[in-house]
Amino acid sequence: MSKTPDAGDSPDSKALSRRRFLRGAGGVAAGGVLAQGLIGCAEAPARATAQEPPEPAAPAGGETLEGELEIELSINGQARKLRCEPRTTLLSALRHRCEPALTGTKEVCDRGNCGACTVHVDGKPALACLLLAVDQRGKQITTIEGLGSPEKLSALQQSFWTHDGQMCGFCTPGFVMSIQACLDKQPKASLEEIKRSCSGNICRCGTYPAVFEAALAVARGGK
Amino acid sequence: MANLQQPGKKKIKVTKNVDGHPVEEEIEVDDTGGPSWGPRAAHTLLNTELPRVDGPVKVTGRAVYSQDVRLPGMLYARVLVSPFPVATVELDLDAARKSPGVGAVIDLEVKGVKWLGQPVAAVAADTPERADDALRALAPKWKPGKWAVTREQALAANAPQVGRKGNLGKESSKGERAETEAAMQGAAAVVEAVYSVPVQHHVCLETHGVTVDFSGGDSAKVYASTQATFSIPGDAARELGLKASAVEGIVQYMGGGFGSKFGLGFEGQLACQLSKQAGKPVHLLLTRPVEFTSGGNRSGVHVSMKGAIRADGTLVALVSEAERFGGIGEAARHPQPYIYEFEKSFASSVSVLTHTDSSRAMRAPGHPQASFAMESLIDELCAKAGLDPLEVRKKNLKHEAYQRQLTRVAQEIGWNAHPNKTAPGKPEGRWCTGIGFGVSVWGGGGHPECEVEVRIERDGSVSSAVGSQDLGTGVRTYVASIVAEELGLPLGGVEARIGSSRLGQANGSGGSTTTGSLAPAVKSAAWNARTKFAEHLAQALGSDPAQIRFAAGSVEDQKSGRKLSFAQACAMLPQEGLTAKGEWVAELAGNGIQGAQAAKVRVDPLTGKVEVLKLVCVQNCGLPINRLTLRSQIAGGMVQALSYGLLEERVIDPDLGLALNANLEDYKVAGPLEIGEIVALIDDEDTREQAIGVAEATVIPGHSAIANAVFNACGARVRDMPLTPDKVLAALGRV
Repeated sequence: MSKTPDAGDSPDSKALSRRRFLRGAGGVAAGGVLAQGLIGCAEAPARATAQEPPEPAAPAGGETLEGELEIELSINGQARKLRCEPRTTLLSALRHRCEPALTGTKEVCDRGNCGACTVHVDGKPALACLLLAVDQRGKQITTIEGLGSPEKLSALQQSFWTHDGQMCGFCTPGFVMSIQACLDKQPKASLEEIKRSCSGNICRCGTYPAVFEAALAVARGGK
Repeated sequence: MANLQQPGKKKIKVTKNVDGHPVEEEIEVDDTGGPSWGPRAAHTLLNTELPRVDGPVKVTGRAVYSQDVRLPGMLYARVLVSPFPVATVELDLDAARKSPGVGAVIDLEVKGVKWLGQPVAAVAADTPERADDALRALAPKWKPGKWAVTREQALAANAPQVGRKGNLGKESSKGERAETEAAMQGAAAVVEAVYSVPVQHHVCLETHGVTVDFSGGDSAKVYASTQATFSIPGDAARELGLKASAVEGIVQYMGGGFGSKFGLGFEGQLACQLSKQAGKPVHLLLTRPVEFTSGGNRSGVHVSMKGAIRADGTLVALVSEAERFGGIGEAARHPQPYIYEFEKSFASSVSVLTHTDSSRAMRAPGHPQASFAMESLIDELCAKAGLDPLEVRKKNLKHEAYQRQLTRVAQEIGWNAHPNKTAPGKPEGRWCTGIGFGVSVWGGGGHPECEVEVRIERDGSVSSAVGSQDLGTGVRTYVASIVAEELGLPLGGVEARIGSSRLGQANGSGGSTTTGSLAPAVKSAAWNARTKFAEHLAQALGSDPAQIRFAAGSVEDQKSGRKLSFAQACAMLPQEGLTAKGEWVAELAGNGIQGAQAAKVRVDPLTGKVEVLKLVCVQNCGLPINRLTLRSQIAGGMVQALSYGLLEERVIDPDLGLALNANLEDYKVAGPLEIGEIVALIDDEDTREQAIGVAEATVIPGHSAIANAVFNACGARVRDMPLTPDKVLAALGRV
């Protein structure tokens, strides 16, 4: 079933408002292609601009999704069923719709400026606040909870801890995820590569020097 | 005059923190023996590098912040704030109430908005998205009025009135102006200049907010992102209609405060009111744009300085007139002459009020602004008189710590081999390198407010508990490490329990007073626990308490030579184990720290771009409680100063009244690519066996050193922070 134009829109109207364009493009372009392009373009999910609040998604078939949906996402290797709306971002789904909630992925700016919500989608770093949850069906999502546990830290997490790459700790999961994605691709990454990999992440306590040391130690130790 | 002191008492000066602002007062304390920190070489855990005990939960995303609390039936709240500095508003409350999933709507019944970002209503719904819908359903009809949001607007002849008595606060001044001006006669150089620092933001990554666990009934828990656990229960109880004793304030993890998070705040009050109305738990963390307009700011300053220097480098006289910008409230004070000693000085200061949110304490309130003006002026005087800015600093700083600290940072930054000592470099080629300096000071100190409880159980487990909060400074770690060292245990042998108003009381974390107040109380509790334990064991073993030694996980009775494991010793305790309490001990806290910083930058005279190549800090602090977290805190102050110096400024359109950069896209803070080499050094020549906090001092001089380095590189004197490329080019006369 395809979506009809809004009541009141004349069929011959070619004047496309910005909102209508986004609505039409919403699920496919803005929510999918752009975001994929964004995460695919570099190791770093660069700070980017979110436009209007996400509109209902239209998957490949052109079907319109509305209201509360039940979807299944693959998160940290587990199939998780959850209810959400077409507009629900992956960040909101993780934090507010998963049961139990996955709150390690932090909400700081909710518009792609800070890197605190960095997750991996099919192995690439992505900003969960710029993705729609419904678009992630069939993809492998890894959150900070999927890397290691307090009892069994990953090598990078262990290094963050021993180098004191965290103070208040609020930005830390995002930094770990950004840099982990870099190290997955470049196990012997240089300082410059490490800096670039997390260039979209912000830390206000100013832990950058220790974060770089932590990452370099892993890169030099070959994991 | 008769000595009015009681025997065994003495009077000492302490620093009390009032919402992040230090207030000095004199108190009477017992003059007795008791625990001491030293000697420094004997420490097994303190003064070493200890990874923080909450590191594993932080790096794995398992630490639960107020933002992460999830409760059955919980509603998510949003606050509607005014986009205009002055306005009236009409709201469609019915539409909001009928919006899907809404559980509560509050109209603050604001008759007239008086500041940009002032809250006017709040809603709570079952999902964050539906709360956004409800906020939109309010469909506010704003009628903008007339406002003053800039200095020029506030000081204009027919300016809209901000405060009840006009647009100026109470003016203060010290010194004789005419006498000071006269003293400038015959000086080698006189410089007159205006320096300004804009209003900037704290940018805590976790926004202000709380999650209220209340569903009716007679008790509540309030999870708050706050710097003061004990500021929560009383205020929350008032909103909820409960007794303060029925409300627990919980601050297990919090995502940054920097001075902006004291008390329940409007966000906490609204969350409680929404929760009470809905009969459900409410989660209210401000959205980022609201955090910018309504969650606090660091006050700005516009200061006219006139200073004079003799040919021998003596600072002769200073006239300083400051206007401070703290929104509708009084801005942080502007202390001049800042740190350096002038023979004569006159300093006046007044707040200029605007229709924006009141400034809040921000790490060393007022000091970074004063540092920028003073350190810049000194380098301008040096350049005009042809003097070496490092030597002039040493000459006019009396405290011995600065002498060694400046020598060390100069060495670390490469000043000795640097060519531009008495005159700046020329703006030629692509990258010009320059070096600049700055110094800092802070009181810190402690206050008798904390009560710590140490428990030793029969099974050998030990806990150290106090209600204090950890802002990321490492409090939780030293609450454990101080006790562990006293009992001869590894760090993991003691569990730290903090962040609850159900535990022993503690002061709010502001003005670098946490460590000075809390660490002595922890030490005292640990000492009391060890003493009690030793007494018990001596009795059981037929020994003398003074012969019982705790070291390396063992307990030794030196009288008999008998050695027990710590667990074996604990098994000798009665069933109820052992409890010991500790309060503040004056001798264990210190007051007064100094630091010096140096910056090396490179400036592109073609584009005006500034890159910080290296920042060095040498900071004293009495006893380094934990060298690892201490270095992090020093580096953190340096990084924040770099960010403030190069990037940060709140922008409000004066005509439209709109906040133009209330988001992290347009309000830029330093990220990984802006960070050069950061060298944070602990000044170990300060051998005081005293605990002192370092949060404030480290953030004071970094941007000043950077501004001086930019000038030193190519002669671009930027007197208006931040040092953006356009200002560098303007200073070079190229735009």
